[in-house]
Amino acid sequence: MMTRAAKCLATLFLAAVMLMLPGCGDSEPALEVDLTRRERLVAPERQKTITYAYLPQYSRTVSFQRHRALLEYLRVTTGLPLHQVFPDTFDEHIKMVQRGEIDISFSNPFVYIQLAELGSTAFAKIVEPTGTPDFSGQIICRSDNPTIRTIEDCRGKRLIAVDPGSAGGFLFPLGLFYDHGIRLDDFAEVEFAQGKQEKVVLAVLAGAYDIGTIRKGTLDVVAGIIDLSDIRVLAETRNYPGWVYSARQGFDPADVGVIAEAMFSLDQANPEHSGILGAAGMSGIIPAHDADYDPIRELAVKVGIR
Amino acid sequence: MRLFSKLKFRTKLNLGISAILISMAVLLLPLVSNMTAKILLEESRKRGSALVESLSARAVDPLLARDFLRLKNMVVEQVAVGDVLYAFVQDNHGFVLAHTFEGGFPVDLMRANEVPDFASVHIQLLADGPTRIYDFASAVTVGDERLGTVRLGLSKTRINASVNRQITIMAGLFAGALMLATIMGSLFASRVAARLGLLREHAEAMLMGNLDTQSGPADGSHCWEMRNCDLSSCPAFGERRRRCWYIAGTMCPDCKDEKGLTASRESCHLCKVYQQAAGDELQDLAETFDVMALSLKTHIDELRGADRNLREQQRLMRTILDVTPDRVSLVDTRLRYQGANRTFAESVGLKLHQIVGKTDFDIFDEQTAEARHMAAREILQSGERLDTQMVVEEAGERWFHVVCIPVHDEDGRITGLLRTDRDITDIKGYEKQLIQAQKMESLGLMAGGVAHEINTPLGIILGYAQLLQEDVAPGSQIHQDLGVIEKQAKVCKKIVADLLGFSRQTHSSKREMCFNNSVMEAVTLVRHTFELDHVDIIAQLDDRFPIIYGDPEKLKQVWINLLTNSRDAMPGGGVIVIRTRLDTPRGIVSLWVADCGEGIGEDVIKKIFDPFYSTKPVGRGTGLGLSVSFGIIEDHDGDIHAQSPVPEAFVFPYPEGRQHGPGTLFEVNLPLDHGEDEPARAERRDADHAGQDI
Repeated sequence: MMTRAAKCLATLFLAAVMLMLPGCGDSEPALEVDLTRRERLVAPERQKTITYAYLPQYSRTVSFQRHRALLEYLRVTTGLPLHQVFPDTFDEHIKMVQRGEIDISFSNPFVYIQLAELGSTAFAKIVEPTGTPDFSGQIICRSDNPTIRTIEDCRGKRLIAVDPGSAGGFLFPLGLFYDHGIRLDDFAEVEFAQGKQEKVVLAVLAGAYDIGTIRKGTLDVVAGIIDLSDIRVLAETRNYPGWVYSARQGFDPADVGVIAEAMFSLDQANPEHSGILGAAGMSGIIPAHDADYDPIRELAVKVGIR
Repeated sequence: MRLFSKLKFRTKLNLGISAILISMAVLLLPLVSNMTAKILLEESRKRGSALVESLSARAVDPLLARDFLRLKNMVVEQVAVGDVLYAFVQDNHGFVLAHTFEGGFPVDLMRANEVPDFASVHIQLLADGPTRIYDFASAVTVGDERLGTVRLGLSKTRINASVNRQITIMAGLFAGALMLATIMGSLFASRVAARLGLLREHAEAMLMGNLDTQSGPADGSHCWEMRNCDLSSCPAFGERRRRCWYIAGTMCPDCKDEKGLTASRESCHLCKVYQQAAGDELQDLAETFDVMALSLKTHIDELRGADRNLREQQRLMRTILDVTPDRVSLVDTRLRYQGANRTFAESVGLKLHQIVGKTDFDIFDEQTAEARHMAAREILQSGERLDTQMVVEEAGERWFHVVCIPVHDEDGRITGLLRTDRDITDIKGYEKQLIQAQKMESLGLMAGGVAHEINTPLGIILGYAQLLQEDVAPGSQIHQDLGVIEKQAKVCKKIVADLLGFSRQTHSSKREMCFNNSVMEAVTLVRHTFELDHVDIIAQLDDRFPIIYGDPEKLKQVWINLLTNSRDAMPGGGVIVIRTRLDTPRGIVSLWVADCGEGIGEDVIKKIFDPFYSTKPVGRGTGLGLSVSFGIIEDHDGDIHAQSPVPEAFVFPYPEGRQHGPGTLFEVNLPLDHGEDEPARAERRDADHAGQDI
């Protein structure tokens, strides 16, 4: 004869088991597929396009994001099949231009003078967000570094620059060092960041290098990544001619004209254009000529690069 | 339930543990497996989402660079991870740029899972036959520009296998826990059962009377050891069978002066000795058991001592009651016997235990019972004791002194009667003898007085008769008559002399004398005469020649009387043995005269020392011989008595070829020593006699 308590316990036990049983099933709906039914895929043939490349001073994603809207604008405005390509390094950029794989090149003036030597022709240059077509370079160090107060203090320190081909990130500050009697050999160590401005900032911030040379405006790019108060701008170079659009040798001048015309049509006052220009880090695009970049050639000669 | 109650403790414990664990397993395994399955599925979905999102993020660069090698490497890396079945990358037109399949791409997958542009991940469950696959799709975007799609497939079957593995591991853990718990439970139960069994054995031993068992642990430190205590007057000092908290009146300064063992024990919980030495509940029970056994043993020893004492007292009381010749009995108010002594039981012919509960009517004849009953009733009513003498016809006439006393309880009420019947028949006999002796003494005095008064005239008669004989011619009638007068006068003189001797009014001249010489003089005097009557006298005298203080002539008269009596008892002749023996330790010298005559009857032998008692024919004896001898021996502070027949211990040399009777033995005991006043007393007595003579 079961007691009342025993009956209650048995009932609770059965109820618990009954409650648990539904959880044991597998009732999630599934889409039927047959993985055995397979095909050999063949890539669709790509149509001929005009290649557009941004000197890889930033990552591909940043480069893509900056120029995606501009390219879309140019595609729509000119009707030309413009397509952005992404060289990995400055050297590869130059070589791709040389091989004809880049039709429209957006590069710094120092690279440009090298491209010009390969036959490229400048047809436009940008107006910096500052409102001028010029830009400068900066020498940075950590805010808390007490040993570096002047440019002369940089002697014997470890230096990281953007790239040997970088204008604002290497050439301009190097000229400044030369002006203060400091040569490359005077640094304890010189390293390059494969053309990536952000890498220079982050390397200095990490303490891996004492000083870094960057293009002016880079700090604004990394403002969302680091605390800018941790970085001190030790010196800033004079202004030099800014970034330039050039067409490779042999590219159809008519297409160059159409593209240039579309570029020159961009108006900062136009909200749509303003967005395109802002994303690309410029405030306008104006006509350019090869002679505009002679100061660069002079600087290169001064520092012994050319 | 009866079956369960019969199971052993170990089995019950194991069953309980097993029931708990099995119930837990039955309840928890489905629940936990369900939860685990859900969690694992959810985790797998999250992991798949994370993987596909990571892949999507990393695919941006190679997509922009149209780096197919990197894309291929990326997707292959994903498949290298356990449960990822496949991974592939599509461009924004849906074309597959890189995938992990071999032998073509399964076209069903291309549109199997679409992810909207602005959704991060979309998950679709695919069924490929029995295989279930979670397909994760993530859009590759840069800003608001979509570059393509990354897809990744996770095997749900493998996830389910993981779930099943988890459940199997859990079931195994439950089984292991069940086994471990069973082993541990068995060990624990064995330990507990062993301790309980020890307690049971000790309880059984206690039932069998062995109270010296030790259930608690014999080892372990005790308070006086822990504290190096030297307070030997403390009851816990040196105690090993009891813990100090079971002992009242301990003298430890940390012990609170609480009244009662329970209160003091509560105060012990803070004591370090208790905290170190106290055990679990079973040890507590065992120690309490030991204390109980010890206490019980003490009480039983005390009870046994009291019982022994009581039995000793009972035995003593019973001995006193049984040894006493009095008939003692106790009756209650209903006059039923509550107890009696052995003499009483023997008198009524019953055993002691048969008497209890009976009444007088069950024991005695109706007349006696009625008399006793009425007497008892009267005492119960009056409350006064009965003190009387009564004669009972019981193998002759016997006298009893009866004392019946009411017994009172603490409140003064009568609860019974104690009756004592003392046999005073002998006392009555002595009383009669005393009266007889007094009569004989009076008679002796009178006879002595008479003899004394007659002695003088007899002397004169004898004197004148002798003088007259000288005056008449011998042979004449007158001379013959005078001779008769003289002879009869001498007879009378002899009688008077005996009477005087009987009444001890004769002159006594005591002195140091040789006992043997006195005897031999008597024997020599009568030997010849006796031989004429064919009576031989055998003298066996002690060769140590004992010296006594006495009157040689009177003692010689006693010996002659005794020898003459013996000769008279043997009319046909016989042997008389006269033997003397010195008993130095007792300070006496004894003489025995034995014959082999016809003996003396039991009734007669009591009267032979009475004066004028004689069994001889008239004219042969005066009846004064033995009574005179009795008087002489008594005058010498000795005693004389006779017994017949002659006891065998006497070793009588019966003559061969001649008839003989049982014989009679006379024994005379005389003291060797005499008091300092003995001569003075004798002289005084002689002076008295002289005065009387005067």
